Amino acid sequence: MTIVRGVVAGAVGYVLGAALIMAIRAASGAAAWEVESVTAGAWLFALTGWLLGVGVWRYWARPWFGRPADTYTTTGWRRYFDFDTDHKVIGVQYLITFLTMFFMAGLFAMLMRYELMGVGEDILNSDQYNSIMSLHGTMMVFVAVAATVGAFGNYVLPIMIGADDMAYPKLNALSFWLVPPVLVALTASFLLGGYDTGWTGYAPLSVKNDVGGLFFNLAFFSLGLSSIVGALNIIVTVITMRARGMTWFRLPIFVWSIFVTAILSLIFTQFVGLAMLLVILDRTAGTVFFDPASGGQPLLYQNVFWFYSHPAVYIMILPAFGITLEMVSHFSRKPLFAYRWAVGGLLGIMGMSSVVWAHHMFTSGMAEALRKPFLASTELISIPTGFIFLSALGTLWLGRIRYTVPMLFALGVLFNFLIGGLTGVFLADVPVDIQLQDTYFVVAHFHYVILGGGIFALFGAIYYWFPKMTGRMMNNRLGKVHFWWMMVGFNATFLPMFILGLQGMNRRIADYTPGLESANRAVSMGGFFLGTSFVIFLANFIWSWVKGPPAPDNPWGARTLEWQIPSPPPHENFEIPPIVLADPYGYGEPGSVHADLGGNGRSESLEEGVQA
Amino acid sequence: MTTTETLPMEHTTSRLQINRIGLWLFFFSETMLFAGILVTRFTLLGTEVHEEVSQTIGLIITAILLASSYTAFRAEHAAHRGDREETTRYLSMTLGLGAVFVAGVAFEWAEAFSAFPPGTEFGTVFFTMTGIHAFHVITGLIFLALLWNNSRQGRYDADAWPVEAGVKYWHFVDVVWVFFYPALYLL
Amino acid sequence: MGNGDHSTTSQTKDRTHSDRQPGRLATVAFIWLLVTVLAEITVAAIEWQPFAASREATISDDAFNLLMVLATPVFTFVIVVGGYALLRDRHRGDDADGPPIRTSRAFIATWLVVTTVLSVVVIITPGFTGLDELRAEPEADLVIDVRAERWSWAYRYADSGVETQGNLMLPINRRVLFRISSTDVIHSFWIPAFRIKKDAVPGQITTTMVTPRKLGSFDNQEEMRVQCAELCGVGHARMFTGVTVVEQDEFDAWLAAAGG
Ligand code: HEA
Ligand code: HEA
Ligand code: CUA
Ligand SMILES: [Cu+2]
Repeated sequence: MTIVRGVVAGAVGYVLGAALIMAIRAASGAAAWEVESVTAGAWLFALTGWLLGVGVWRYWARPWFGRPADTYTTTGWRRYFDFDTDHKVIGVQYLITFLTMFFMAGLFAMLMRYELMGVGEDILNSDQYNSIMSLHGTMMVFVAVAATVGAFGNYVLPIMIGADDMAYPKLNALSFWLVPPVLVALTASFLLGGYDTGWTGYAPLSVKNDVGGLFFNLAFFSLGLSSIVGALNIIVTVITMRARGMTWFRLPIFVWSIFVTAILSLIFTQFVGLAMLLVILDRTAGTVFFDPASGGQPLLYQNVFWFYSHPAVYIMILPAFGITLEMVSHFSRKPLFAYRWAVGGLLGIMGMSSVVWAHHMFTSGMAEALRKPFLASTELISIPTGFIFLSALGTLWLGRIRYTVPMLFALGVLFNFLIGGLTGVFLADVPVDIQLQDTYFVVAHFHYVILGGGIFALFGAIYYWFPKMTGRMMNNRLGKVHFWWMMVGFNATFLPMFILGLQGMNRRIADYTPGLESANRAVSMGGFFLGTSFVIFLANFIWSWVKGPPAPDNPWGARTLEWQIPSPPPHENFEIPPIVLADPYGYGEPGSVHADLGGNGRSESLEEGVQA
Repeated sequence: MTTTETLPMEHTTSRLQINRIGLWLFFFSETMLFAGILVTRFTLLGTEVHEEVSQTIGLIITAILLASSYTAFRAEHAAHRGDREETTRYLSMTLGLGAVFVAGVAFEWAEAFSAFPPGTEFGTVFFTMTGIHAFHVITGLIFLALLWNNSRQGRYDADAWPVEAGVKYWHFVDVVWVFFYPALYLL
Repeated sequence: MGNGDHSTTSQTKDRTHSDRQPGRLATVAFIWLLVTVLAEITVAAIEWQPFAASREATISDDAFNLLMVLATPVFTFVIVVGGYALLRDRHRGDDADGPPIRTSRAFIATWLVVTTVLSVVVIITPGFTGLDELRAEPEADLVIDVRAERWSWAYRYADSGVETQGNLMLPINRRVLFRISSTDVIHSFWIPAFRIKKDAVPGQITTTMVTPRKLGSFDNQEEMRVQCAELCGVGHARMFTGVTVVEQDEFDAWLAAAGG
């Protein structure tokens, strides 16, 4: 129902917007109909209509007009399809939406790998290849930017800090309901012939391509809105909603990582919005930002875009660091080693992330004098990143390591990200980057960090929090099979890509010189192997959700707050607000207690702990 | 492991404080957008300004916007005092001044369209900057209109937060103009 | 590591960790050394780069190889220390927690110093030194204007005014300056065998220099090609032509024949 309302209101908005733009065009003496400007304007109105339709009007805006808001009465599974403000429902909505996007983008990758198996154009011509490659990259980037923050930043973060919900529940719902239009725009771009600019959408190519490209810009723009709203909510939640005693240095490291990510998002997402807006204006309003013939500057786009998109790679990876360190501590049964250094690492990365963007532009024709400073700043960012490894190694050392499925994924993140990060150091070196820029070396680098780091962590998080979210356990053996299959498949796919890049294969091509064929075939085989690993995951995920054995409250014996309440948690999370007594990492410390949950009476050692 | 020396960092932040923090963070984020626009402007144009921009209109609309900030400030003040009538009156004045500002921009656009259309270097920057700003002014006007109507009907007698938020937003948009104005007209 | 201040807990059933420390550290250090040496030998034995045919290629390849030498111990350190803990410190039956080690000044200080020093080293060499070397010879013997267009390359030998398309002819051991421009979207002028790459940006002239050091052509070396390395539309993948490096006299003859 909600969705129907949203779609109808969106359609009405679309028509109204289109009419308005056409009227304005006619009034200013231009031809009323022009696809791009009409579409862009209509999109804005459709977006507004959709949001009003899905619930903003009924549950939120009515009082502004002096009418009572509707009371929210949806129950059961229907809540997942409604404008629900419970952070736990929103977390699940995010998770499912972005998993869907991930699998779609993954299937596009399979098509690409099939095409790249041999020399020549087999199943895709260059045009189709470019579209599918662009869509793969764009969707995956969206997944990496928003899936973990959206799903677990929403589901577990408020519980971890002892809150009953986010600071702005309605805004939270709004940020989720901005995501479906993103999917619609991406699908629309695909149906309209796609766009051929890659996920980076460099102008002036992006100004010149077909209407499909416009939808790429609109999709990125809408996702940006969603990110900003979501980030704002998370920041305020962490600042103001912490339970009594939850001081900054008692926060679980996962909360820190999401908090820092949200700050990055709040600051930098504006710039990608701006980059998209400028392209949209060049396309629709006749401006000339990127048209050198009239005084525009193509490099301007790259600067604005990377000023967002480099920090965005940390938006993708910081939550993964948080998840990894969380697992490593709980499953080594040891306090998180050098906790403050790990937090310092997160903050250090945040601080430096705005001064390295031009390392994507070493060969772009930017001022040569800027190469040295950007080389230096980029290499220096290894230092705070290293703190994460410092903390992880120190925690593993002498632990009582339990090889649960989430732990395996966390260890996978450490291994893969190490390779990805170190190859980043190579790319930051200008003489090397001149050769490797825009080759498969870069493709391998970022799959190692985003997929090997970010997405591995996402799957670890799914295995870890699944019992809490659904009240059921996932199958452990299938989980292990999935991990090893994915780990082997991943490395088999992307390790040879480094070699391909070194041998001179450039990115974003459907066809290559014959010398590269055998390595490409190997990569494709690895890719299919990797792809099938997700079949196991999907089977396990769906089957366990429906039929899995009931989960205990705390199947991992972890100490953070979300495990001290029932699985799945009740609507208000805690019976009475918890009081936090220490950080959650007191493993092996006699009498250490993270929090007093009062009425729940779940922590037996509480009495002793309070006296200690 | 310790309890007694724990400073109770209770989650007693009031709704009002929570809302205020959120609003300021929103301004902070928006500041990034406007900073980006300014940087874009200087990248494309250096410090040059088109001599055909109408200094008179620029000065007038700037003055009007500043005046509207003052009336908005009075409205917020009145709302906090619970003075419904004065709130409504000042809100309506702010609305009026804001509408004049938009009209002024529209008028200038009509002129500018022939002097430096969007297809020129300066026109690109000029129309984008004034356009994005005007978009914010118009959303601000929509908020103010809602506030005005609700204030008239006495819906804010108990809670001045909506007025405070709308007015702060209005100030923010005005401050942005304080930076845009010299970048477009003076330099 | 792990010798920070911590109280040994009575719950720990097996030997406390502190008596195992020195032995463990020595073992790990030994394994790390061994693995690192083996890894360095392997890394040195592998030929990472394809055909290298210019002065610039040597600089780039040397930088890459040096980075490999430096990155290997970092990689093996994390793998060996982590791997050792993963194998030795497995949970074995009992439910006890690990020792509550929260910090270790020695380990953290060492880590901080080593990573900082490494980063700075990497910045200086091969970073800055490599860049300086690349820019060390700014005098050109030959200037070629390169024009990129969807989806082909056109060359103009500035001194003689000869214009060509398709295969790019260059004399060996002469310093060449490319002045690159584009008429439509962004392309990128890349010659894999030379390790040079510069974007062709509309409205701008970008430059890059190279000194070819080896004879060769696309027919016998795939890397001897001008390849577009910036997505520019449908024809991007096919936007490449061969490069041929010949002796000076052969080059002069070719230039004269081409109408110089
Ligand atoms: C999750 C995302 C993510 C992350 C975390 C990173 C991390 C890093 N990236 Fe990466 N990068 C991407 C995603 C990411 N990158 C993407 C998507 C692209 C391509 C975009 C496109 O063009 O489509 C890209 C491209 C890219 C380029 C441009 C390549 C080109 O196009 O020419 C460069 C160049 O400098 C670079 C460098 C780095 C560096 C130095 C880091 C560092 O942060 C890594 C630091 C980590 C370590 C070094 C390992 C751990 C540290 C230690 C164990 C301590 C000791 C180590 C030392 C002292 C060295 N990256
Ligand atoms: C989150 C980030 C992410 C992830 C997870 C992936 C996952 C994968 N990527 Fe992608 N990739 C990017 C981000 C990501 N990628 C980006 C940003 C680009 C750059 C685009 C650009 O240049 O603009 C890129 C580009 C890119 C290229 C380079 C294209 C080019 O330059 O021409 C290639 C080439 O092989 C590739 C391959 C793969 C493969 C094989 C996977 C696999 O891991 C996918 C595995 C997943 C599935 C297969 C889906 C799930 C499976 C099922 C539902 C079961 C059915 C299975 C079968 C039918 C086998 N990716
Ligand atoms: Cu020209 Cu790619
Ligand atoms: Cu980057």
